[in-house]
Amino acid sequence: MKIIVAIKQVPERDAPAHIAPDAKGIEERELQFAMNEPDAYALEEALQLKERNGGEVIVISAGPERVGSTIREALAKGADRAIHVVSDGLGARDALGVARLLAAAIQPESPDLVLTGLQSEDLGLGQTGVIVAEVLGLPHASLILQVEKTGSGLKVKRELEEGWFQHIELPMPAVLTIQSGGNKLRYATLMGIKRAKTKELRQINAAELSVDAAPTVTLEQITLPKKQKSTQMLSGTAKEAAASLVEKLKFEARVL
Amino acid sequence: MSVLLVLEERNGKISRVSWEAASAALRLGAPQEVTAAVIGAQTEKLAEEAAGKHFGKVIRVEHPLLDHYTADAFTLALEQLIQKESPAQAVFPHTYQVRDYAPALACRMGQALIGDVIEIGEGPVFTRQLMQGRLNGSYRHSGTGPCFVSIQAGAFRAELPASTAGAAAIETFTPSIDAAQIRTRPGEPFRGSAQTVDLGSAQLIVSVGRGIREAENLPLVEALAGALGAELAASRPICDNGWLPMERQVGSSGQSVAPKLYLAVGISGAIQHLVGMKGSQCIVAINKDPDAPIFEIADYGIVGDLFEVVPALTEAIKTAKQ
Amino acid sequence: MMILLLPTLAEPQHFSIAEKSILVVLTAASVYGFWRRFGPVLDRILKSKKDPDFHLAPIGKRAWEFIAEVMFQSKVIRERPLPGLAHAFVFWAFCAFALVTLNHCAVAFGAGFLDPAGSVGRGYFYFAALFAVACAAGILGLFIRRFLVRPRWLGEKLSWGSGFIAFLIFALMSTYLAAFFVADSGTAARALWWAHTLTLLIFLPVIPHTKHLHLVLSPFTIFLSRGGFSRIPPLKGDEDFGLVTGKDLTQIVSLQAYSCVECGRCTEHCPANNTGKILNPKEIVLGVRAYLNDLGPASDEPLLGKYNSQEAAFQCTTCGACEFQCPVGIEHLPILIGLRRGAVNTGTWDDNHGAKLFLALERGSNSLGLPASERDKFIEKNALPLFDGTQEYCLWLGCMGGYDPKGREIILAFVRVMNFLGTTYGVLRKERCTGDPVRRLGNDLLFQQLAESNLEALIQSKTKKIISICPHCVRTIQEDWKEFGTPPAIEHHSEFLARYADQLPQTQNQNQEKIVFHDPCYLGRYRNIYDEPRSIVARAGELIEAPRSRERSFCCGAGGGLAFLGEEKGDRVSHARAAELSATGAATVAAACPFCNTMFRDALASQGAGAPQLVDIAQLAARGLPEKIASKGNESAPL
Repeated sequence: MKIIVAIKQVPERDAPAHIAPDAKGIEERELQFAMNEPDAYALEEALQLKERNGGEVIVISAGPERVGSTIREALAKGADRAIHVVSDGLGARDALGVARLLAAAIQPESPDLVLTGLQSEDLGLGQTGVIVAEVLGLPHASLILQVEKTGSGLKVKRELEEGWFQHIELPMPAVLTIQSGGNKLRYATLMGIKRAKTKELRQINAAELSVDAAPTVTLEQITLPKKQKSTQMLSGTAKEAAASLVEKLKFEARVL
Repeated sequence: MSVLLVLEERNGKISRVSWEAASAALRLGAPQEVTAAVIGAQTEKLAEEAAGKHFGKVIRVEHPLLDHYTADAFTLALEQLIQKESPAQAVFPHTYQVRDYAPALACRMGQALIGDVIEIGEGPVFTRQLMQGRLNGSYRHSGTGPCFVSIQAGAFRAELPASTAGAAAIETFTPSIDAAQIRTRPGEPFRGSAQTVDLGSAQLIVSVGRGIREAENLPLVEALAGALGAELAASRPICDNGWLPMERQVGSSGQSVAPKLYLAVGISGAIQHLVGMKGSQCIVAINKDPDAPIFEIADYGIVGDLFEVVPALTEAIKTAKQ
Repeated sequence: MMILLLPTLAEPQHFSIAEKSILVVLTAASVYGFWRRFGPVLDRILKSKKDPDFHLAPIGKRAWEFIAEVMFQSKVIRERPLPGLAHAFVFWAFCAFALVTLNHCAVAFGAGFLDPAGSVGRGYFYFAALFAVACAAGILGLFIRRFLVRPRWLGEKLSWGSGFIAFLIFALMSTYLAAFFVADSGTAARALWWAHTLTLLIFLPVIPHTKHLHLVLSPFTIFLSRGGFSRIPPLKGDEDFGLVTGKDLTQIVSLQAYSCVECGRCTEHCPANNTGKILNPKEIVLGVRAYLNDLGPASDEPLLGKYNSQEAAFQCTTCGACEFQCPVGIEHLPILIGLRRGAVNTGTWDDNHGAKLFLALERGSNSLGLPASERDKFIEKNALPLFDGTQEYCLWLGCMGGYDPKGREIILAFVRVMNFLGTTYGVLRKERCTGDPVRRLGNDLLFQQLAESNLEALIQSKTKKIISICPHCVRTIQEDWKEFGTPPAIEHHSEFLARYADQLPQTQNQNQEKIVFHDPCYLGRYRNIYDEPRSIVARAGELIEAPRSRERSFCCGAGGGLAFLGEEKGDRVSHARAAELSATGAATVAAACPFCNTMFRDALASQGAGAPQLVDIAQLAARGLPEKIASKGNESAPL
């Protein structure tokens, strides 16, 4: 089975989010980057599929030079080789533009399976995998927790809302977006890092892929949300406090 | 401006989040400009429910192959509908189902979906969250063709203003779908296994700590959990004492949880406990010590005697649920 | 003239050719018997991998340790005074007998050089006789201990080899002593001579076949130690991942494995073994020895599996009691951590909690997996000054000090003391875990990343001196980071507090609160700091000692990354220690490590009402200081 995993490099989760002066992005100077966690689950699923069924795991990532460190991390965790679509201008593309770029780089590999994380931790669009499937003309399933190979196709477990699940059967080649938490992630090892040094990391310049970059959706500006999280202390008698808590849980936090 | 509103069904009725999306659609156009679509194999009842609002019209997108959701069939059906109706905007609730097909549908029309929108401003400008909610980004649709938007659950009110009451005309649209075009075979939905306590996937958790003092007082919090429909969990000392089984322990030596609501009762917030529940969406703390560290990470706090607050809260929740 | 009244040692004369021939043949057989077993052992040790970081220098330190531990038997005696002294007598008798035995053999060829009638020979024989009496008594005592008293540390199986050796030693001594009471020329003297000789010739080949191999090896083991407590050797080259297979066993590890005398001191003091875990440090060492015996040092078989269990290796709290106690110089921690490194660096160790810790540190800044903004909030809320290079100390918060509510209380108490003294300090804007838990769990990749990024941040901040409330941070920064750079000087807050104690207001209350001090492993055994924290405790109340204190302190259970590995099997180490501390009758338990503190917090709470209260020494030192003291020379800068 030839599996391609599309991964994204995102700012570390507790990185400071300072808005850049043009309000179109965040300051990158002090930022540390890491692999998007849902993509780490997609990689894990790919590695486990390979361990069960044999084959090859190829990671692909688009972005500037710095993305290389995340690609190497994926190689260290067990991917066999990598493709880096080098582009400094991803921010100007919308979800469709990025997915088209990835699809163009994936197509010549003709993989049996393309995996990606459900969504990214920075933009949270949650669309890339589904659009890649559409561009490549492949069937897809999203929010997948388990993948099983059945003869020529796949049987996957999809998460539905409110604690429900369903199995979906689909032929290969296919695209799946992986929900976090379906597997246990593996930690990076010294042996993995040393072995990764000898693995192939191919760079493709985004311009070579000649994919339309004109966006249909543009980011106007980034702002701070009005409410920053802080503790609201509810006072009054037990009864009053209880009543106002229920009110807030219902309408403010919307968790009831 | 014509707006296509795609409604979803849940338990035989139009879902709450669909009505929230309807609220959003009404920001983009007057009720008469909104066309509401219901999709399925038999959509009569849903269409009637939707027609109770003063929409321009309600379209029953009906086909036997739309009986069960598949991305392929839904995409085909809506592609044809949008070509026919050519709306300026297509509005969806941001559900798991919409996330599965709307990006592909938009792509097929040369568009990118503006997903998970929490606010619509003049322009229209669509606001969505970035960096896990730490920032907001406002987006604008450019170019030709319909603008695809999905609306985050809870961002708009599901109760439409009274002025939208009315009666919309119902049309039926039958897309042409061939069984061979559907590449995936969905199975019947099933519930996650429930043989053991699975705090990890619980949506609501009531957790109890040392503040409860005696095992005999546990029914107090059990009643609260019951009223909420929440799982009961505990900090380590409670399980150490054998008052609750070990599998209900939250924290570094127990389970890590990330529910929508984590209600900590009489838990001071030792680090071992905090690391197990810090990922919760909304944290409520009830503790008699105003300096308890749990308040530092709580969204809502009540400083008070849990033996008074918890029964009052149980009552308040029961009342609210009626 | 007393000496003339005492009997002389009988020495048979004139050995026949036949006797001489028999002696030569038997000696050859005995040496052959010795070498047949010892040769392969030596071969396995020498064929093991060279230790990449081994240096003989400083030779003076080695010599001193050799004299103290081998010649004076200091470790043997200190821990178990009675059996230790008995053992020392046997050892000293052996030393004294070196000349006697040489002379004894030479006599057969008429080449005896100690004259039983001459004053030197006579004197020496009496000297040896004194040791022989002590040795005979000692070995008898040890025999009684092993076969009648049977402490459980010696293992459940009776060691018949030890019994036989005891018999041989006793026979050697008695045949020597008996020779004082027979005539020179009689058959009795000749019979005793032969009995002594035969015992010797049987003794020699028995040595390498039993644990008495330590007689030959342990002096070398002690002399050739790694130099430093729990010294974790660096990995060398692209294929070194720690102790994975036999090929990774180094000469020092192999030498140590063959030196084990199975005395069980390590087991006796092991917190894991004492609370029902399967880990037994002695069995770990013997497992390596069994591996070497069966497969040799060139084998590709994994070390963890048949010979040692992975589960056991990951039950170690790295408290170091085993290594500290070992009388033959075995360094258990590099072996245990080496086995963990092998398992983690190759990804073989699969543990949910461990993976969670590693992933938290791969992606985030602290071992608790909390967002770094939590630390920022703490700094901001308490207006802690930021370190800007001008202050005297960089106050290292650590994961516990920065995120744990109890650890934060310790920091705030210590900050009050520093403010009162007018000491200038600042905290770093960003700090990552020092890597202590991942270092001890054997994750070298992560440890290197953490050490390097921290070292870089410290260099950029121009830090000269660090102060920390956490002995784990102190140890890791000072010793373990050396592999990747030059860490700034660092001290533990107990050292600082002891230095300035007399400048703090005297607060000792009149009713003399009884305070028991718990020695943290990483402060005591790892850093040799025992008196400084006690001086702080003694100012606040009446210092009392736990049954196991100072070098013999019993672990709280948190070290070696175990604080992060979830529920332990058997009893909790923390509960065992907390019970011991409570039983002293102290009103207060004083700790000097935020990990000990957090472990005891739960453990003492479970004791219910009447459990002693728990404080850090910083909190004792801050007693009696005003609640709010402005820091001097510290302008708190906004984050």
